[in-house]
This record gives sequence, structure tokens and C-alpha cells, in this order.
Amino acid sequence: MNLLNILASLNNLDAEYISLREVKSRTINLSVRNEIFEGLSNTEDHGIMVEVMMNGQFAHGATNSFDPAEIIKVAQEAKLQAIEASRFSLSKFSFEERPATVGEYKSPGEKGIDAFHPAEPTKLLMELSSAMKIHEHVISRTAYLYLNEMHTHFVATNGANVKQNIMRTAVGISATAQSDKGIQRRSFGDDQSSQYGLERFDTQKLLGEAKRVASEALELLDADECPTETMDLILAPDQLYLQIHESIGHPLELDRILGDERNYAGWSFVKPDDFGTLQYGSKLMNVSFDPTMVGQNASYLSDDIGNLATKEFLIKDGLLLRGLGSLESQKRLNLPGVASQRATSWNRAPIDRMANVNLEAGTSTLEEMIKSVKRGIFMQSNRSWSIDDYRNKFQFGCEYARLIEDGKLTKIVKNPNYRGITAPFWNQLKMVGDESTFEVGGLSNCGKGEPNQVIFVGHASPVCLFSNIEVFGGGK
Amino acid sequence: MKALESSYFEKFSKLVLSDLKPDEAMTLTLTAEETFFSRLSKAKVRQVTNIHQAHIDFNFIKGNKVISFNMPFSAGQGDMLVALKKLSQARDWIATLPDDPYLVRPKFYGVTKEENLHTLPKTQEMMGLILDVAAGVDLAGVFSCGDIVRATINSEGQFHWFKTRNFYLDYSLYNSSQKAVKSLYAGSVWDNAELRRNIKDAEYKLTLMDRPSKKIERGEYRVYLAPSAVGELLGTLSWGGVSMGDHQRGNGSLKDLWQKKKTLSPLFTLSEDFSLGLSPRFNEAGEVSPMDLLLVEKGDHKNFLVSTRTANEYKMESNFASESESMRSPVVLTGDLSREDIYKEIGTGLYLSDLHYLNWSDRETARITGMTRYACFWIENGEIVAPIEDLRFDESYYSIFGEALERVTDFSEVSPATGSYFNRDVGGLRVPGLLLSKFKFTL
Repeated sequence: MNLLNILASLNNLDAEYISLREVKSRTINLSVRNEIFEGLSNTEDHGIMVEVMMNGQFAHGATNSFDPAEIIKVAQEAKLQAIEASRFSLSKFSFEERPATVGEYKSPGEKGIDAFHPAEPTKLLMELSSAMKIHEHVISRTAYLYLNEMHTHFVATNGANVKQNIMRTAVGISATAQSDKGIQRRSFGDDQSSQYGLERFDTQKLLGEAKRVASEALELLDADECPTETMDLILAPDQLYLQIHESIGHPLELDRILGDERNYAGWSFVKPDDFGTLQYGSKLMNVSFDPTMVGQNASYLSDDIGNLATKEFLIKDGLLLRGLGSLESQKRLNLPGVASQRATSWNRAPIDRMANVNLEAGTSTLEEMIKSVKRGIFMQSNRSWSIDDYRNKFQFGCEYARLIEDGKLTKIVKNPNYRGITAPFWNQLKMVGDESTFEVGGLSNCGKGEPNQVIFVGHASPVCLFSNIEVFGGGK
Repeated sequence: MKALESSYFEKFSKLVLSDLKPDEAMTLTLTAEETFFSRLSKAKVRQVTNIHQAHIDFNFIKGNKVISFNMPFSAGQGDMLVALKKLSQARDWIATLPDDPYLVRPKFYGVTKEENLHTLPKTQEMMGLILDVAAGVDLAGVFSCGDIVRATINSEGQFHWFKTRNFYLDYSLYNSSQKAVKSLYAGSVWDNAELRRNIKDAEYKLTLMDRPSKKIERGEYRVYLAPSAVGELLGTLSWGGVSMGDHQRGNGSLKDLWQKKKTLSPLFTLSEDFSLGLSPRFNEAGEVSPMDLLLVEKGDHKNFLVSTRTANEYKMESNFASESESMRSPVVLTGDLSREDIYKEIGTGLYLSDLHYLNWSDRETARITGMTRYACFWIENGEIVAPIEDLRFDESYYSIFGEALERVTDFSEVSPATGSYFNRDVGGLRVPGLLLSKFKFTL
């Protein structure tokens, strides 16, 4: 389908601005549980969104029919909706909020859907499931593979023309152990999708991880309950991804600060005046919006309205500098933002989103951090998350933890949880891990928006140490 | 939009099914909608979107192997070519897959057709009235309306069709100190007077939020959970709480109830009740669930939701739950606490209208955490004293629906599903309010 021809056919619509965004997303999911093949799904989502501006008001129409008459009908409807809605506009916009970017982007991944055949991946997942069969108490052994390719083509009457081909893959494994002492689960890979292809998977490394998670799930069955006390807390990257996501990413979204999300995802404790003045965290805290990191889950050339994406610091030396907001939100707040107006697919209008939001590495080694702790705990792998609608009071649970006593890792404890309040918590950041502790992750399930949208984001982080955090365990 | 008409889906399906070979079977499931969304903030329009979408999921079986795929459905001439191409690839791939010992084969589960299509006013008229009534109020939320279809056909001749036309205004109102009340106006029959009453009622409740907020210290308090808060609790319980598969695999959260080691309160009865009429009784495979299935009766475990796949694996009877074994139409039985007596029966404690962002603290002991949200008040001697600052709770379902449950209201509220990830949800729930003797707050 030639999108430019369709755009040309809409010339006589006499709109102030028109854009077309075609999205074709193909996804393959395979899963194995207890060495039984659970299924293969091969899905495709393909459609087109028309955006029309009239009287400074945008309206959107979406269809998964590629009949030119249907697309023209959808565009005509969007024009009428824009005119009608412009009587009640929250804000008026102009061409300034729609850059005329031209360019192409392609993920670094090589082996994608065209190179896919189920035989090899099925064999890998079977082997991973088998590798976790180390004891009769390991009652559930799952392994899955995810492969997605999303092709987006964006054209507009201002000359914008952006093609982006994004590939994402992930392999996840988990072991659930059960005995008369309880049930425990360990997992690997749930938060580690990236823009590399099937070539990224190292069978031997994955088999090692499978054996490790099974053995740690068994260890947890015999572990003591996590103690309830205030102590120093070291968090691994596979927990910090969620901590960054919930307590930095979401509160810095400008549409939340503007109140657009109040009825669903919520508001933010951050006020417009806080940019440039709020000490969000300790001096060791540096957070960037970085859609340029090669291979990270949410890297791209431009967002879904054609705004060219660049790396920007959101927080530097603990000071809040910039929010996550589109050109539209930037105009409404008169604040700097980033290129982050993104949509889940062709059937949703783009809104303010995270992309890659990363905590920059510091200078401490993991050993130095552990050595510095008199009494504390080292938690790994998120298993539960909850935060209030202003993004203040949070609680997280992890799968696995070890106590730290007199500068040494000691016993394993189960059901570790911690709670806190966002800005005080980040101001208790005491040590930040160096590059040797830095890991890059990606999440696929960030939900937000009315209508609801789920989107891919990326987070990278070193290991970090926080002082005096409320820690507690499970049980009654 | 042609995909919303049953004849196109039937005709297309018959053509695809006629291509099957003797050792092949297939189920086709249609999800389609024509939806208008308007995102609102400060009682103004932030974004408007009109969506025409339809896709068909195929579950294809050859011998003892299965593969699933899907395609967009335009109800146009090109669909058949796409379907045959995808079917050809599925045949190529399925040959290399292992057998599936728990395969769910299509069966004939009958033919049904249900359409609830009341005439709605024009979108502009409904939007105009909403914004007119809300003028001068700080309203945020979303208005949605249009047609939704769920349908399924299989190679054994089964055909189920469900089409509904509805609307919802899911909104909250804010005062100058950013305190809020939440409301929902939803249905299939539009009533100008009812919309007006709904918004004016929320405006009145908002005036109660004008009083200075009270900071509540951590600890245990008596609480009343309004129906919308109870609905949130059921939403999280649906996530591993009533699924037989999850319990068999170690992911269930009501294991002690299932194994009769614990009970809930005799005042608590929960069922999956499709007489609510908000959700089709058939699942993705076209299997028709019982009209009313007791899950918990007077505190005792009766049933979990069992899909046919789980039934095949663990050699038990299916109750034709959905693949995810989550509740689609939960109903909690009412009790004897009248609306007028709620504050009096709280005495001194908290009135919680809504809860937010629930998740497990410890799944094994059914402990959950979450936040209070919207209109929540401190009550003293049966009188509202002040709205509260948001609190984090951490409590077990065995306490909430069990030992701490004192009274259940004599009324319940129906809440249609308003979720719209990927497509507009169908379904909903009907729940009463609950009075608890204790509820633990941790932050």
C-alpha cells in the first residue's frame, strides 16, 4: 500500500493538517510447561490511523480495512469530529506540534519472523523446561519465547515521512517449587526484552539460568521469612527497573502533571514549578531519557507524531530538570520535554509515554556496597508492585533476598518486601553501582490512558544501595 | 461497518472451514467494534478517536497438534486470500510441533444469537449534553459509545453471536484542593435526566471533600468498603484467586480455602452469574458456561473456574471457564445492612469509596496491598468528620471476606466493564458494600 498516494487522495478534504500512521505488528509466542508444548500463536495486527486537525483541534480515525474508500470515510469522520470537538477544546494546537521529520530506523536485530521456524525454538524451550526438573518439589517449569516485529510508516501533509522497523525478542523461564513448607517461585527474563533478534539467545547461558532459578526456588522453600525492620537495602537491576518505572517514569509524565490521566492512571506529586528546583534524589542520582541506546527495548528515531528523539537528562545530580512529555504537553506547560508521544498501535491516539528511562551508572562495585552495610538486605527480581495515584507511597515485593550482616552476604530469606515514599526514598540513595553492575532491561506491559493503551518501555540500571528502608516479609 | 453484521462472518467462516481436510478442525473467533472515544479533562475535550476494527482468531488442529493465528477482518473480498495464506503457513508449521496432550477439540455447543441494540442519540448530542451539564466543573475521564461484537464458529457446526450497543461516561470530579469523587454513567439506553442526575449527585458528594483532610496514622481501623472498592478487590482476586489451573500449578492464592483448611465468612457468597447480561456466556472456544456457578457459598469453597484445558490436564470436569480462568460476571450476595445505617454501623472508622493499584504482598496467605482513592472519609460516632489523606493497606482476603466481615449491605451496584486495552471489554460485576471490623493500614 502506498501511504503517500492515500495521503494525496485526501487533499480535497481541506483540513488544516492530516497525517497517516500505518502499523503492522506481527508476533509469535511459544510456550512450554513441564516439558509439554503449550502452544504457538502467530498473530498480526495491521491497520491505519488518520489524524486530522481542524480549528486547532486534533481528531483521530482508525480502521483495519485498507479499502481506499473506507480510509477516506474514516478521514471524513475525523474531520467532522475535529470540528465538533473544537467547540470544546482543552487546548488549541498548530503545525508547531507536528515536526516535518523525514528518516528511517531499524532495530539492530537480525533474525526475525521471516527467519523463524518453530522447530529450533521449540527444542530450546523443551530443554529449558527439562533443565529445571531437578527435584520433585519443582512442580511448575515454564519457558516461553516472544518475537515481535512492528513496522510503522508515518506520513503527513507537512512533509513528514518516517519509516521504523522495530524487532523485539524475549525468552522467559520460571520455576515454582512447592513442599509442606510453602510455595516459592523464581524467574529469569520477564523484564528483559530487547531489539535484538533470535540470534541473541545463547542456549548454554539460558540453560545455566534455568538450573539456577530452579535451585533458588528450592532454596527459598527452606528459607526464613524476611524480617520486619528498617535497614539498608541493596536492589538488583531486575527490581530497579520497576522502581524506576513507577516512581520516576510515571510521575514525570507531563500529561499526568497536567491532570489528563487523573481518572485512570492518576496524577503526580510533581508540580510544574518543581522542574529546576526539586531535589528528587541524592546527588548520586542521574536519570536519562535515552531512545538512542542501541538495542534497548524502546529505542526509535522519532515518536508517533514525527518528533525526532534525542537523549535528554531528566534528573541530574538528583535535581529534577525535565519531564516526559510531548510537544503538545510542552506547549501547554511551557516546559521542556522529550520525544515521547507514542501509541500502542494504529488504533489508539498517541499520548505522553516513557521510552527508555535509565538510571546512569555510578562508581561503586557490588562488593564495596555490600562491605559498607552493617545490617541490610540484597533483593532481586520483582514479583509485586503497587503505588498510589500521585506516585508517592509505594510497596514492592521481590522473589529472592539475602541478608547482609557486618559487610557480608549471609542467609537467604523469602517473601521480601519493602515500602517507602518516592522522593525521600531516592534521597536515601547512598551508593550507585558501576558499569560492571549495569544491566539493560525492557518491559512490554506499561498500561495507561483512556482509552487504555499498553506499550513497550526500556529501563537500564546499575545495582544501588539505599539507607534506612522499611523492609518486611510475608505470612499472616 | 460490515464486520459487525453476522452474515459476513458466517459466510467467510463457511468458506474457510470448507478448505479443511478430514484430520483437521478449527474454531474461528471474531472480535469487532465500532467505537467513539473522547478523552476529557477539565470538562473539555482533550482527544477524540473513532475506531473501526475487527479481527478473527483461528485455533487450528491437525491430528493431535494445535496452532493459533489471527488476521484483520475487513469483511471484504481480500480476506479469503489472507486466510488461506495463513492457513497454508499453519499447516507447514504444525507438522513440526509436538503433540498437545491437553488439546481442546471443538465440539458442537449449539447455536445462539443475542443482539442488544437500543438506539442511542447521535454522538455529538451525547457529548454536547455531557459538556453542558459539566460546564464549570473540573471533570476528567472518558466517554465511549458504539457497537461491540463477540462471535465464534467451529468446524462442528457451532455458532454463537453476541452484539451489544452501549455507552459509558467514566469520570471523576475535582475540587480546588484536588480532592476527587468518582462516578460512572453507563448503559444501553441513554437518558438525559439520568446523566444530569448522575453528574449533579457527584457534584454534591464533591462538596463533602471541601473539608480539610485528616491524616490517619498507620494501624487497624473499622472500615466500610463501598461497592466500587469491593469491585477492585474482586478484580485482583480474579488474578489467580479462583482459577483451578493456577491452584494446581502453585500460583493460586486461596489454597487454604480450596483445601478446606480455612473458610471465609458465612456472610460471603460469590458466584459467576451470567444473568447480569453484560457478558456472553460462551468463551473463546464457544463453550457455554453455566448461567450461575457458585464459587464460595456462605464462606465455604464450592467451585473454582475450570477451563477445558485445565480439566483435560488434571482429569476433572470443565465448567467452561475462559482460558484465563478469570471471572467474567462475578456477583456477591447482598446482606442486611441498609444504606441509612452505614455511618452508624461504622461508628468510628473509615468509609472507603474506592481502592487503587492492588497487588499481592504474599500470594500464599492471600495478602494484598493497595491504596485508598477518591472519596474516603474519617467517621466518628456515625458522622463524617473529614476526607482522609491516601493510605496504603496490607490485608488478607481471609480477613476481608472472612473473620473481619461484620455486615453486607442490602443493596448492590452493577458496574459494567470499562476496560479498553486492545478492544472494548464486555462484562461487569454486581457487588454490595462490606463493613469490616478491622483493616490494616501500613503507610
